[in-house]
Amino acid sequence: ENREEMLNSKSNRLTETLEEANKLFDEVSRPREAALDAQFLVLASNLGKEKANELHSEMTAFDTATFAEDLLTFMGINRTEVEENDSEPGGFLPSDAWLKVGEEALKYLRRAPTFHYMLGSFKSDPPVAKQRIERQKRASRGEAKRAMPAQLKKMEESHQETTEKEVERILGILQTLFENDPDTPISFFDFVIDPNSFSRTVENVFHVSFLIRDGLAEIKVDDYVLPIIEPTKSSRGRKNDRGPGARNQVVISLTEKKWK
Amino acid sequence: ELVQFVLVKDQKKIPIRRADMLKNVIREYRGAYTEIVNRAGRTLQEVFGLQLVELDPKRHSYILVSKLPCAEGNHPCRAKEKEKMGLLTVILSFIFMKGNSVKDSALWEFLRRLRVHPGLKGSLPGLGGDVQKLVTEEFVRQKYLEITPIPLIDPPQFTYKWGARATKETSKRDILNFVAKVQGKRPKFWTSQYNEAMAPP
Repeated sequence: ENREEMLNSKSNRLTETLEEANKLFDEVSRPREAALDAQFLVLASNLGKEKANELHSEMTAFDTATFAEDLLTFMGINRTEVEENDSEPGGFLPSDAWLKVGEEALKYLRRAPTFHYMLGSFKSDPPVAKQRIERQKRASRGEAKRAMPAQLKKMEESHQETTEKEVERILGILQTLFENDPDTPISFFDFVIDPNSFSRTVENVFHVSFLIRDGLAEIKVDDYVLPIIEPTKSSRGRKNDRGPGARNQVVISLTEKKWK
Repeated sequence: ELVQFVLVKDQKKIPIRRADMLKNVIREYRGAYTEIVNRAGRTLQEVFGLQLVELDPKRHSYILVSKLPCAEGNHPCRAKEKEKMGLLTVILSFIFMKGNSVKDSALWEFLRRLRVHPGLKGSLPGLGGDVQKLVTEEFVRQKYLEITPIPLIDPPQFTYKWGARATKETSKRDILNFVAKVQGKRPKFWTSQYNEAMAPP
């Protein structure tokens, strides 16, 4: 009758009752009492089993098999029909199985990212230069020294060539524009800004600066204090007498924001 | 300079020894060792969000741990590293849930259920091969795991526990959360592990 009390894990009631029954049994002389005793034993052992189970559920044991199965599911296992001669009964793991686990796992780790140097620059030119230098290295050492200056010079030149060509091209455009309409000032910003590309705009400013430096173009400030650009008289006319002219340094800042 | 040294040395994830720092970087400024290390630590924290942690006060070895909370999503990490960390976390989970210490036979039997076999190539495609070496050598050298032989047993058996780095880079709470996520249950489901994980350190 005192079931609840007996089941309470903290109570020793069950043990005490067992011990009492034990004592009583010593005094038993009739079969009827022995039968009662046996009945009692069965009852007691059932209670004992229940008590043990309750103990179990209070601290749910971690189950290895379930964990493994859940992990496989997490990895995206394709569960197929179990075949007799299959090397991997129960399904196939996709190739990114552990990758999935890893990605989730990283959320629970405070691992310092491995430090690696970023090699190389972002310019597009160097790879070309590297090829040339590498070819030189393969040639015999004796010649290497002599040939190298020649090679390097070539690279330098090609570098300069592109810039010079660009500069000349821009000068041409400027002159044409000016000739078409000599009285309308050309806004500096209109001239250099490429509405689609900030980097191209910067390149344009760069090339224009050569024209200024060489005295082929000049930048003036108009009535609204906005810079305008026009080819200088000497570039429009004859090419001699490229004197330095008045040297003024102006710093124009142009951030991407402003460009937009 | 010490900052750079530490960052590069950390690539292999093997603890950095004080002796190496002294020999290669600090050299004649030995006297100011503590101050230099403290300053380097501050730079690492403020610039990189990394913490220089002394792992072993007796042997004076250090590791780098991230100070920032584990962000969701993209970790700048190669596939191979991700797979290794996946395997490691699974092992750490198993060890913790089983009471912080497991026998090697139990661990490898568990791994077999995940189709991971020692010596069999292809279990973890990114690794190409020796899982046993990874677990028993690399993870141990990096202090993620601690493997000790059980005395007086032949053939030899081993006990697997969490290594010092594991205790610094993660926690019982985090690992329990991982298990909970995988099994789709709440951490409280495993009462005794939950209590252990939530207990003050």
